[in-house]
Amino acid sequence: MSTAELPIAPLGLGRAALPRIVGSPVERIDAVEKVTGRAVYAADSRLPRMLHGAVVRSPHACARIISIDTSRAERLPGVHTVVTGADTARVKWGAFRPDLYPLAIGRVRYVGDEVAAVAARDPETARRAAELIHVEYEVLPAVLSLDEALAEGAPLVHDDAPGNVAHEFGFDRGGVEAWFDRSDVVVEGTWQSERQWHGSIETIGCTAEWTRDRVSLWVNTQTPFLARQRYATALGLPLRAVRVVQTEVGGGFGGKSGDDNTSVICALLARRAGRPVQLVNTREEEFLASRPRIPMRYTVRLGFTEDGLVTAKDIEVVADNGAYTGKAQAVLGAATVRHDALFNYRAVRAHSRLIYTNLEPTGAFRGFGNPSADWAVGQAWDLAAARLGIDVPDLFLLNAVESGSVSPHNHKITSCELKQCIRRAAQAIGWQAKRAERTPHRGLAMGVSVHVSGRRSFGDYDGSSAIVRLTEDGRATVIVGEGEIGTGARTTLAQIAAAELGIPVADVSVPRPDTDLTTHALGALASRVTYVAGNAVQRAAQQACERLLDAAARQLDRPAAQLWVEDGTVHGPAGPDGEGPVSAPVGAVVRAELYRPGGEPIVGLGSFDNPSEFPDGSRYGNESGAYNFVAEAAEVEVDPATGAVRVLELAAVADCGTVLNPPLAEGQVEGAIAQGLGMALTERFHWQEGAPVRPNFSDYKLPTAGVMPKLHIGFADSYEPTGPFGAKGVGEIALDPVPSIIASAVADAVGVRVHELPITAEKIYWGMRNGEPGAAVPVTSAPAVPAVQDPSPPAGADRAGQEGDPR
Amino acid sequence: MTDTTTHRPGDTAAGGHRTAPATQCAAQPGTAPGTAPRAGTSTAVPLRFRLNGEDVEVHVQDPAAPLLDVLRHDLGLTGTKSGCAIGYCGACTVIVDGAAVPSCLQMAGLVEGRDVRTVEGLEGPGGLDPVQEAFVARAGLQCGFCTPGHVMALRALLDADPEPDEERIREVVDGNYCRCTGYVKILDSAREAVARQKTAPTTEEER
Repeated sequence: MSTAELPIAPLGLGRAALPRIVGSPVERIDAVEKVTGRAVYAADSRLPRMLHGAVVRSPHACARIISIDTSRAERLPGVHTVVTGADTARVKWGAFRPDLYPLAIGRVRYVGDEVAAVAARDPETARRAAELIHVEYEVLPAVLSLDEALAEGAPLVHDDAPGNVAHEFGFDRGGVEAWFDRSDVVVEGTWQSERQWHGSIETIGCTAEWTRDRVSLWVNTQTPFLARQRYATALGLPLRAVRVVQTEVGGGFGGKSGDDNTSVICALLARRAGRPVQLVNTREEEFLASRPRIPMRYTVRLGFTEDGLVTAKDIEVVADNGAYTGKAQAVLGAATVRHDALFNYRAVRAHSRLIYTNLEPTGAFRGFGNPSADWAVGQAWDLAAARLGIDVPDLFLLNAVESGSVSPHNHKITSCELKQCIRRAAQAIGWQAKRAERTPHRGLAMGVSVHVSGRRSFGDYDGSSAIVRLTEDGRATVIVGEGEIGTGARTTLAQIAAAELGIPVADVSVPRPDTDLTTHALGALASRVTYVAGNAVQRAAQQACERLLDAAARQLDRPAAQLWVEDGTVHGPAGPDGEGPVSAPVGAVVRAELYRPGGEPIVGLGSFDNPSEFPDGSRYGNESGAYNFVAEAAEVEVDPATGAVRVLELAAVADCGTVLNPPLAEGQVEGAIAQGLGMALTERFHWQEGAPVRPNFSDYKLPTAGVMPKLHIGFADSYEPTGPFGAKGVGEIALDPVPSIIASAVADAVGVRVHELPITAEKIYWGMRNGEPGAAVPVTSAPAVPAVQDPSPPAGADRAGQEGDPR
Repeated sequence: MTDTTTHRPGDTAAGGHRTAPATQCAAQPGTAPGTAPRAGTSTAVPLRFRLNGEDVEVHVQDPAAPLLDVLRHDLGLTGTKSGCAIGYCGACTVIVDGAAVPSCLQMAGLVEGRDVRTVEGLEGPGGLDPVQEAFVARAGLQCGFCTPGHVMALRALLDADPEPDEERIREVVDGNYCRCTGYVKILDSAREAVARQKTAPTTEEER
């Protein structure tokens, strides 16, 4: 069923008529360079005399470095330089908790930790030289799981983190125990998420070149300006000594947001070699030493009244930081509070800890903690629905937030069509029909999520600014530092500018970020660019358009208020003296404004700061100016002989305000669902001695076209009053509820509820046979939480009588 | 792969990335850039093959090196991407004698005398190959890194079978990873490419 065919009630939001270009499927401005292979990604940059780098990494999870002998590597023909920790500023760096050296000093803390690096004439020589560097280690006891790290007297990963606690916080808002006392139904459980890798097909890479005392870095980073600050710290340099330019970015998903050492090492190599150096991660390095999703052991307790109103939520979260912190503490913050902007909880309590282990450091990944939270809390809601005898969509509708709601953490919900999303997702999957006629071994489930449109994290600013310059050839250049990681952000921003200016999108260019040239920007994170930068670009374009019309008014001898721009031409009505309508191409107006005594360019400046609050230490504060929502429903089929899961259909309806470019917005939802399915079903490694065995795509299975279910994608009729043309973010949200939905659908199909991701056939197989856990397989952290038989009745007639009407 | 190899034009329009002077990549016979033996590498062996319709000769140090490295580093054709180097992701797909192959697993020495096509060699009546046009029209890409591999795999399919059925299309798309799109719009693009192929002269006919 196409959701587009469903009747939508008029919302009466009083929105202004939108320009034609808004909501139209405008072609990506970068499509041709990408299909022809001409787009220049990190590894495609070529500088004269450029060398290639390779990194020596620790084979031990924890060890003291006794000595490093680089002499054999240095003697290899073609090798230009070798660097070790001794060649660095010996400064620790990190987004929130500086704990990472560019190259190890004295000690290594995980398998993959950077110890030394080489620059040579070609990548092969560099790699061979790296193998010739001999590092003598004294292997030390390592903590290879959360339980080992938390044990009494456990070895410390960092001496300044007693108990291996990297970060800890908590709150009790509203007094949960009193609310639990008044609850009729309480459900509880523990759910464990797993390291998930971004799996961008392009790995992290950098090209560095020094000119005197300044380094230029061409990096495939999502956040050029934030990365620049951190790289300067890591190099022990003043900010002005570092310039970052964004190359084409072959996928980001949080993994290219500047928390790893690759660019820093590249800069160190280039300085010592006196020549440009390119350093690109191999796929193995990307799996060993990037910053994957944080595994969380998430215990949740929920209370409800007998008629299904949620009362209290109490959570205990223990998160595996790995050896270094990066953005993990902010991710844990989001995982702890964000969900509470979804339902009308009367009281919420949390205790969250980020724990150092001698495992690969973790960090930001699309969803930013939400997927781990939604996985656990979503499971508890699903259990509660069964206990209450209320169908899941009905239970969601009873408790969902709406426009005007305020969460216990002061999330102020402006626009919210969550209830519309729930109803339409249920309709799109055919919820009622499927509930009425159950098929053996098939299960149905629904999940919901909330996400931000920008988040105030990096100081008390989550803004953006833009300059729109009209050119004498009638085009516009939008100068904004946010960049492009594949989502189509530059196209959307071009569309916003074109809509305000009255020129074709094809006449708008959006250059890539360069910290020397473009406006300051926080970059592509937190689903912020469309909302935050879109507002800045809109304002800049409005100002440029006003100046254009002022100039045209003088040139055409008509009042500016009577002029308008259409398809690249300024038009005016007939004059009072009876002279006919007037017009002039935009370029001619710009040129005439320049070429006169005292001539001036036509430029607009726009600025917007997210109307949000910087959360305090307990994460209280309205972290974003606009929240986006999604409801998704899926049907799965479980093979009773093997436990294998096939996802048959998945419906998603997202509330992202006005959809500026439908194919681009659909692409975000479709791609996020695919990543969610990977997280739910297949993405994991087998581990040995603190490292993934065979760290490549041979063992780590991304979803392919063949495993994708039939998707029904829809968007809520919604308008965000503070957004550009009513738009909000949409980049992350559709991933968030997927693992929980698949787990609930499996439980609905065969009565087995898996408590540890991913939901493999093996776990279901053993769960179906006497509720035993899956065969013992080493996992990154925490003992296996067994798959258990649901306390609720298994699939079949027992439940059919409980199905409600998804209103 | 020394610093004397071919350079390709950089992203000059979009941020001022300084690059070396561009040289012709798909070169005239016998004058291919990157053919000069490397300094101090007298052991380099000549390798001759047909590349995007032109005869090229390149001196490679190790004939067992992946074709991918020779294309990207020795010949400067960086449109072909490296994603995993073990033949799983499909980002490095090129066409050798009509068959789509992962160039990371193709020994360079074994393409001697054979016909190799890369994304740089695609063209069509409107400038773009119908497969490329389809990806543009149907938003079949996001970050674009896997796109040349998908495009080449589908080009090989359509050369072998101009009217593949849905199952065959899915089979081919299933062979290449994409981490951005969830494949919906890549499959749309593939179907669109089949439709466009029917209404446009094939690249084979143009030659």
